[in-house]
Amino acid sequence: MAKFGGWTGKTLRVNLTTGKVTAEDTFEKYKDYLGGTGLGYKVIWDEVPVGTRAFDEANKIIFGIGPLAGTGAPCNSRTAITTIWPVTDPDIYVATGHMGGHFAAELKFAGWDSIIIEGKAPHPVWLCIMDDKVELRDARRLWGNGVYRATAEINAEMGPEAQVAAIGQAGENLVPNSTVITGYSHSAGGAGGVMGSKNLKAIGVLGTGSVKIAADKSEWKKLIQYSLTLVGSNNQHVVPSTPQPWAEYYDPASRWTASAGVFWGAANPPVETGTCDPHDMHSIGFRCQKGIKDFGLDFGEKHTVRMGGCHACPIRCHAQMDYPPIEEKYGYSRYAANTCMGWFSPRMAYASISGTNASEAMMLGKHLCDDYGVWDNYALLHAVFVYAANNGILERVLPADEYKSIPWDQWKKGDPAFLLDFYRRIAYREGELGRGLGDSTLKTMRRWGIPEDYYKTSKNKYWKMGHPLHHSTEDSAQIGLLINLQYNRDAQTHSHTNFQNSGLPGQVMKQLAAKTWGSPDAYDEKGRWTPMNKYKAKVAKWSVIRKELHDSLSLCNWMYPFVASPLKERNYEGDTALEAKYFSLATGIPTSEAELDLIGERIFNLHRVITIMQMNTRDMRNEHDSVPDWVYEEGPEPFTPGSNRLPREDVELAKDLFYEECGWTKEGLPTRQTLERLGLKDAADRLAKAGLLG
Amino acid sequence: MMDERKNPAANIAEFFGVNRPTSRRGFLKLSAATAVAIYGANILASDQVKAASGIYILEDAKGVLVSDPTRCVACRRCELACTEFNDGKSSPTVSRIKVARNMNYGPQGVQFGFQRAQGKYGNFLVIQDMCKQCPHPVPCATACPNDAIEVAGPVKARVVNTAKCVGCKVCQRACPWDMMSFDEEIGKATKCTLCDGKPQCVEACPTASLRFVEWRDLTKRSPVRQAGMLSVDDSCSGCH
Repeated sequence: MAKFGGWTGKTLRVNLTTGKVTAEDTFEKYKDYLGGTGLGYKVIWDEVPVGTRAFDEANKIIFGIGPLAGTGAPCNSRTAITTIWPVTDPDIYVATGHMGGHFAAELKFAGWDSIIIEGKAPHPVWLCIMDDKVELRDARRLWGNGVYRATAEINAEMGPEAQVAAIGQAGENLVPNSTVITGYSHSAGGAGGVMGSKNLKAIGVLGTGSVKIAADKSEWKKLIQYSLTLVGSNNQHVVPSTPQPWAEYYDPASRWTASAGVFWGAANPPVETGTCDPHDMHSIGFRCQKGIKDFGLDFGEKHTVRMGGCHACPIRCHAQMDYPPIEEKYGYSRYAANTCMGWFSPRMAYASISGTNASEAMMLGKHLCDDYGVWDNYALLHAVFVYAANNGILERVLPADEYKSIPWDQWKKGDPAFLLDFYRRIAYREGELGRGLGDSTLKTMRRWGIPEDYYKTSKNKYWKMGHPLHHSTEDSAQIGLLINLQYNRDAQTHSHTNFQNSGLPGQVMKQLAAKTWGSPDAYDEKGRWTPMNKYKAKVAKWSVIRKELHDSLSLCNWMYPFVASPLKERNYEGDTALEAKYFSLATGIPTSEAELDLIGERIFNLHRVITIMQMNTRDMRNEHDSVPDWVYEEGPEPFTPGSNRLPREDVELAKDLFYEECGWTKEGLPTRQTLERLGLKDAADRLAKAGLLG
Repeated sequence: MMDERKNPAANIAEFFGVNRPTSRRGFLKLSAATAVAIYGANILASDQVKAASGIYILEDAKGVLVSDPTRCVACRRCELACTEFNDGKSSPTVSRIKVARNMNYGPQGVQFGFQRAQGKYGNFLVIQDMCKQCPHPVPCATACPNDAIEVAGPVKARVVNTAKCVGCKVCQRACPWDMMSFDEEIGKATKCTLCDGKPQCVEACPTASLRFVEWRDLTKRSPVRQAGMLSVDDSCSGCH
């Protein structure tokens, strides 16, 4: 019986070994961690022994969802899949994959807040959730099928409105670089193999219930309508990409690509995206014509059917494309949907090739990856492949007949058909190439003897611990750098980059930065970076706290927080308290922005203490929070126009100031005072016992 | 386009026979002349006219929801608005505008060759299902044993009177388009009320795919939804 709104009050625990299904009280165990990554980290902290490997039976996989999923708070329905991560080497660290779509909302309608999965099934199974009727069904006939077919088979059994999260052959074959896919285009990187190791093919959810809003319905409506006046476009870009009659500013890099004369060209009949004045609540869904952003104006406009995305989101960042040659030439569906890396990544396999048929490679690559369930380790997989292919490494490490069997002539011509062979090898772990690319990238790089040169340039993407950079120094100098230190996978954080790239001019940005973090020095114009200061440390801390908050509430970190808005009459100010407002009204627990941020800080610190225990080091500063050499060595003199290079002293200062903001020691260890302030006394005790407390 | 006023008795009987077998003799007691007079007059003193034989005739609604599915992006904010702003909770099952059931595979549901059919897993076309505010005879209203579905509000929508509804669920099976909802949490049927002339779904739609327009008869040109009947639980416990 739910005491609050938002949450359903019940968390589902499934033991695959025993087949036992239990309902836990969300409020008793997890309320202080909200849900999502918070709940996931709590389970890992409490229940998974240090040293457990990703594919061990003792690992757990948590589909974490928060109180706002299923509500009308714009841009929610995110699922955070927390587990011991297969992609690092050793594979003993906690990390999270994230997927959108409608899965999270449907689980809430079924009456569940999150799913904790433990153990290993004796044979392939899939988890069938129909409201409170939860059972493990035999998946032996589904096993071996790709995501698309498995999803359809489950929908045929459960009904077309059920939401499915499934692995493809890559996850089944324990490929570390594998995904969990929901809704055909929403992928959670890294988690597929863990499901495969547990013999869990998929989860199907059908929910006929409801998510309650505690507040008066007209108050809730007022808040929702207010928030929609502040929303921009994808990544909360708040200016259009081309001059528009209503807009004071524009920025060609903005994702607000709508305009009169820009169409969804493959709709029947074509639909004009139009002027999209920010006061028009009925054109929000047109603002982001992502097809033209991802594929270029010509192909993108001609072949975009419409935009799609997650439940409750008006932004629609998934371009839904129609291109018949995909069917004619390769036998895959002419219809393909995805966004950003889902498209770019397959194209990156041809990074060194000119004349690649890029659009076809993007669409075909999406199908192969999303059906096999292959992950790209945020493009590091392709970067390593291209480097190894071009520098004689594959010739050296692959057996001669395997090397000969690879269709290199297709690759050299930029023929997308190459991908048919390429991704199959990875999904089925065929040969040294297939196994190597699917494996933990660091392990492969060591085994193939990737030389030190590789790590010297940002072009090769490498950051640390076997994962690549993700909105780092090139995005926002020290702020991006600090964020990229924090995780055990590429830093899936967009709080900082959303604001940095809002499209507003420098002086407006400085005003907004001053308002949000206390000083205009919190913000530098892109490419005009300045030395480290304490406000940038505040921004970095705030960014990761908000990322954890969003991943725990089920809000989209590619949209929130709304530091900026498109409204000139507000001086382009957004409202960074929106998360707290949604939370307060939906759950009925009045919570201020600062109070909610404290919970986010608690969740972020829990990730930190788990990582410390797993790394078993007091020197987090150097062993975990490590910086690639290219940060110090690549590019023109630091702090000159266009240079992303940072001096070592500046980076060390950045770490010092960040740790200070966080209440950590100079080694990067949380202190007892900090942990107790955050309600993590037992974490302080455990760290102290292990000699790892700050 | 057929003008049903020219031959009301024959059309009504035919239409009616689909859902509830009624003695043709009994029905035709309503003389053709009376029917034409009532239909043709188009000026009714009250929403319901009790003719000589005891048949209630509901006045046409004044507005109806229509949509342009090429603009539907399947955000489902219409379902959210319908239930959060009317019922204080979010529930696609209760939602009186229905997108979820067509979203993934189209109205036909899962089939072989689904990648060429409609919906997110096919050609991306998502059809929103909306109540047509049927003209007389209104199937849901006629089916209700308690006359709990009435014409109400400024736009004369067909509305469930929850005071009269006993939760028997017969209306759920009567609608040829499977548009009736049932709120299990309160044990009552519910349906689209057009929100007293300011539909929440239309207000919420971020692509203006939904419109609220002057009423026109959509019942003769909309294929019925067979899948709906099949998905209803046929066991006795489905209703009892």
